[in-house]
Amino acid sequence: MLELDAVRIATSERVLVRDLSARVGAGEVLAVMGDSGSGKSSLLAFLCGSLPDGLRAQGRVRLGGRDITALPVVERRVGILFQDDLLFPHMSVLDNLLFGLPAGPRAGRVARAEAALAQAGLAGYGGRWPHTLSGGQRARVSVLRAMLAQPRALLLDEPFSRLDAALRDRFRAFVFAGIRQQSIPAVLVTHDPQDVPPGASIVRLSAEHDSA
Amino acid sequence: MRSSANGSNATASEPRVTAVTGRGGFADVAKAAWLAPSLLYVLPLGAALALGLQGAFHTGAWRALIGDTQFLPALRLSLQVGVASALLALMAMLVLVPALQGSAWWPRVQRGLGAVLALPHAAFAVGLALLLMPSGLLARLLALATGWDAPPDVATVQDPAGLALIAGLVLKEVPFLLWNVAAQLQRVGQGGEIERQLQVAASMGYAARTTWARVLWPQLLPRLALPLLAVWAYSLTVVDMALVLGPTRPPTLAVLAWQWLLDADEAMNRQGAAAAALLAALVALGALLALAAVGVLRPLLHDRRTWGDRPRPRAGAALARAGIGAAAAVYLAVLAMLAFVSLAGVWSFPALLPQAWTGSAWAAVVRSGETLWLTAGLALGSAATGIVLAVAWMESTPEHWDRRAAPLVYAPMLVPGVLLVAGLYRLTLGLGIDGHYSGLWLAHSLYTAPYVLVALAPAYRGYDARYERTAHALGRGHAAFLWRVKWPMLQAPIVAAFAIGFAVSVTQYLSTQFVGAGRFATVTTEALTLAAGGQRTLMAAFALMQALLPALVFLAALALAHQQVRRLGAL
Repeated sequence: MLELDAVRIATSERVLVRDLSARVGAGEVLAVMGDSGSGKSSLLAFLCGSLPDGLRAQGRVRLGGRDITALPVVERRVGILFQDDLLFPHMSVLDNLLFGLPAGPRAGRVARAEAALAQAGLAGYGGRWPHTLSGGQRARVSVLRAMLAQPRALLLDEPFSRLDAALRDRFRAFVFAGIRQQSIPAVLVTHDPQDVPPGASIVRLSAEHDSA
Repeated sequence: MRSSANGSNATASEPRVTAVTGRGGFADVAKAAWLAPSLLYVLPLGAALALGLQGAFHTGAWRALIGDTQFLPALRLSLQVGVASALLALMAMLVLVPALQGSAWWPRVQRGLGAVLALPHAAFAVGLALLLMPSGLLARLLALATGWDAPPDVATVQDPAGLALIAGLVLKEVPFLLWNVAAQLQRVGQGGEIERQLQVAASMGYAARTTWARVLWPQLLPRLALPLLAVWAYSLTVVDMALVLGPTRPPTLAVLAWQWLLDADEAMNRQGAAAAALLAALVALGALLALAAVGVLRPLLHDRRTWGDRPRPRAGAALARAGIGAAAAVYLAVLAMLAFVSLAGVWSFPALLPQAWTGSAWAAVVRSGETLWLTAGLALGSAATGIVLAVAWMESTPEHWDRRAAPLVYAPMLVPGVLLVAGLYRLTLGLGIDGHYSGLWLAHSLYTAPYVLVALAPAYRGYDARYERTAHALGRGHAAFLWRVKWPMLQAPIVAAFAIGFAVSVTQYLSTQFVGAGRFATVTTEALTLAAGGQRTLMAAFALMQALLPALVFLAALALAHQQVRRLGAL
C-alpha cells in the first residue's frame, strides 16, 4: 500500500501539486494526468526521493505503512520507468537484468533472469546487446530489470509515449500484468487517457498559468 | 602509442567508418583536394617526428647513453615521477567526479577549470616552487606555529625523490582530466542521460559511487583514453616544470636529454636524441602495459558489475570538497606568491609580507620590450595560423577522417617535447629557417594547430547544417555563406580557440629555445632561465607575465562571447 498524505509541491513562484492525498493498493495503479509543465514529473521525483533543488515539498509518503518521506532514494526501493528504456549500453541484456537482481549465488540469479526473459517472450536474448534489440524489446527488458530489483512500488513516467501505436497496447498490457503479478502499487504519469488501465484511480493536475 | 590510441578510437567509430568507405571507394581519391589542409599540418609534423627519430639511429649514441653514469638514476627518477603522478591524477579523477558531479559543487568546479587550465605550466611551477621552498610561504605559515626563525634545512623543492615535481604535475593534470570528463559528460549526457542512469540505478538501490564504478566509468573511460595517455606522456617527459621543481643530481631523463641536446658536442646531441627516442618508446610501452592491464582486469571488473550487491553510500563527498578547496587555495597562493615575490624588495624569513616593496623587476620587464613583442607577435601569428589551418581542415575534411586523425592531432601532446623539438630543429635547419622568426613561427604553429582544432571541433561539428541549405536556397554562394553566415555565427568559439592557441604559443619553452637557437627570448624562456639563477623577483615577474598575457586574451575572448550572447541570444 502506497499512501500519499496531503502532498504539496511548489516552486518559489507557483504551486505544482496542491494537497494530493491518495491510497494505492497492491497491484493497483494510480494514474496522474496533466499537461506538460503541470508537475507530474515533479510528483514522481518527490515519490522516489530525487526532488531537484528549487522545489519544495510538504506532506508525507508511506509505503507498506512505513513513512519514507525522508528516506534517501537508495533506501526507498521505489522503482522507476522512464520514456527511454535506459538500458546500460555497455552491458548485455542478461547483465542489465543481473544488475537489477539482488545479490546472491550467481547460478540462481542467472536462472531467474533467464526465466524472466522467457516469460516476456525474449528467451535466448540474454547475450544480446541492448542496441541490437527493437524498441519494444528494449522496453520490455527495461521493465524486467525494474521488476527483478524487487521494488516495493513502481513509478511510470510516460513509459509508453515513445513506442508506436501498434506496440503500445501490447506493452501496456505487459506492464500492468507485471504490476499485478508482483502485487505492488504503481503510480503512472501520462497525458494520454488511453494509457490508463481499467479500474485505475485517476488524479488530474492542472497547469496553473496564474503567475510566471 | 599511436596504435593503442587508434584502437580505442576505432571501437567508437567503427560502424560509421566502414559504412562511409564502403560507399566512397576510390572515386574519392579524385576529389582529394580536401586532404590539402590536413597535409599542411601532417607533413611538417611527420617530417619533424621522422627527423627526431632519425637522430636517434646511431648505435654509438645508444652505447654512450647506456654507459652514462647519470642514465640509470635519471631513468628511475623519470619512471617514478611519471608513474606516480599519472596514477595519482587518475585516482583523483576517479574519486572526485562521482563525489562532486550532481552536487552544487560541480558547476562551480567547471567554472573554475577554465581559469586553472589557462595558467601556464611554467608559471605554475615557478609559483609553486616559491610557495614550497624552505623560505616560502608555507614554511612561513608553519613558522607561526613552530617559532622557526630561519628557513628549515630540508629540500622541499627539487627534492631527490621528485615529490615537489609530482605534486606540481598532479595539481596541473587533475584539472585537465576533470575538464575532459566534463566535456564527455556533456556529450554522452545530452538530455540528462547521465542523471537518469544514476536515478534508475538509485531506484534499484545503488549508491551514486557504486553506479559510477559499475555503470558510468565503464562508458566514459574508453572515451578518456587519449587524455589519459596525454597525462602519462606529459608526466614522463615534461621538461619545463621539471627544470623548476625537479631534482638536479640527477635530473629526470627528459631534462637530461634536453641538456644533452643543447650541448655543443655533437656526440652529446646524438645521445640526447637517443634519450628522447627512449622516452617516446617508454610512453608507448606504458600505454601498452596499461592496455594489457585493462585486458586482464576487464573480465574481473565486468563480472563485478553484475553481482547485485548494493554497498552502502560512503561519506566521501566532504573529503572531495575539502580536496578541491585545498587545490583552489594552492592555485590562489601560487598566484599570490608570484605577485608578492615580483614586488618584494626585502622579505626576511618568518615575515608573512615583504618588509620593503620594489617595482624594479616590473620596470625591467617593461624595458625588455623586445621580449614582450616577440612573445605576443609569435603568439598572435601562430594562433592565427592555427585557426586558418583548423578551419580549413574542418571545412574540407570529412568527419570520419578527422576522427581517424585524432591520434595524429594529439601527436604533439603525446610525443615527448624533446623528441619533437629536436626533429623540428632539423626540419628548420633543412629549410634554412633555423634561428629565424619563420622557424619559430612554424614550430609554434605545429603546437597551436592541434589545440585550436581540439578546441574548435565541438562547436564546428555541432553547427546546424540546415543554415547552409537555407543560405544556398536563398541564392547565396558558398563564400557568402561562410563569410556572412557561418563564421560570424561561430565567432565566439573561433575567438576562444584563438585564445587557446595564443596561450599554447606563449607557454612554448623547448621549441622557442631550441629552434630559435637560444637567440630569441620570450617571457617563458626568460622565466625559466632566471629560475636556474638567483634573481627571484625578476623570475616571478616574468612568470606572472607568462600567465597574464594569455589571461588578457582569454578575457577578451570571454568579453566578446558575452557581447555576442547579449546581442543575439545564445546561438
